[in-house]
Amino acid sequence: MKVHIRKIPDKAKEQVIIECVEVTPEITDIKAYVTRKGEELSGVTDGQRMMRFRLEDVYYFEALDEKVFAYTREQVCEVKMRLYEVEKRYENHHFVRCSKSVVMNLMLLEGISPALNGRFFAYMKNGEKLMISRQYAPKLKRIVMGGVDDEE
Amino acid sequence: MMRNKSILAEEMKAFFVCTTCITILEGILGMLFFPQMKLGYDAFFSPPIFGLLSVLFGFVNYSKKELSVRQVLFRRFIHLLMIEGLVFGLNYASGMIFSPFAAGILAISIGVVFIAVYAALWFMDRRSAMLFNEQLKRYQSRES
Repeated sequence: MKVHIRKIPDKAKEQVIIECVEVTPEITDIKAYVTRKGEELSGVTDGQRMMRFRLEDVYYFEALDEKVFAYTREQVCEVKMRLYEVEKRYENHHFVRCSKSVVMNLMLLEGISPALNGRFFAYMKNGEKLMISRQYAPKLKRIVMGGVDDEE
Repeated sequence: MMRNKSILAEEMKAFFVCTTCITILEGILGMLFFPQMKLGYDAFFSPPIFGLLSVLFGFVNYSKKELSVRQVLFRRFIHLLMIEGLVFGLNYASGMIFSPFAAGILAISIGVVFIAVYAALWFMDRRSAMLFNEQLKRYQSRES
């Protein structure tokens, strides 16, 4: 497949056009990849400054006191969405619910270890530790492990 | 539905681990304190019955809210007390009288089995976590 890159001055007009005879699974993968990479969010920081940041840089979203915050490496921004909306909207971007108040980015997850009562600790790549509740652990395992046998 | 299935799978796992540990405990305590006692086939049902009741008593560990570590430990302690009460209660009801020494050993043994069951379940979770971590690396390289 030929690839052309054309530089344009306006960032808002950036786009990827795929020309193909048929929409194959490979084309769908490319589309999903491009869509994921391009996603940007805006939020308000602690100092009431409006910020734009890439979705793939978000480690996790957390609901606190009726507000939802996005955590990147450097900043915490309040986003104008409900947590269930975040979960639904970004499930194809590797975001998954891990507890009642947190939706985390699987691509920025370092690993997990068992906690008490069937729960797991999630260690993010920025060093933060989150809790995976037993209610959400099976779904998380299904996404990552697919058909690989676990004892469950 | 998936959640219920997963909870059922976990309880089944707890039941089998618990029954195995109780069988071993009954064997050891029986040899130590009642070596002359002969038991019938019905004795085979004792470990699974105690195992099932112990797992059912595990309802005290459940909460709709996310429990803190302290709350989890407190509920585990209540669970242990309920199992101790169950074992001594059923033994008393069946006419089995223990000497204070034997009762003390039994109480401690139940505690040891209780910890062993949770330790076994924790090690299973650890194995599951290690497998998950291996697959996570593959998932991340595949999807990036």
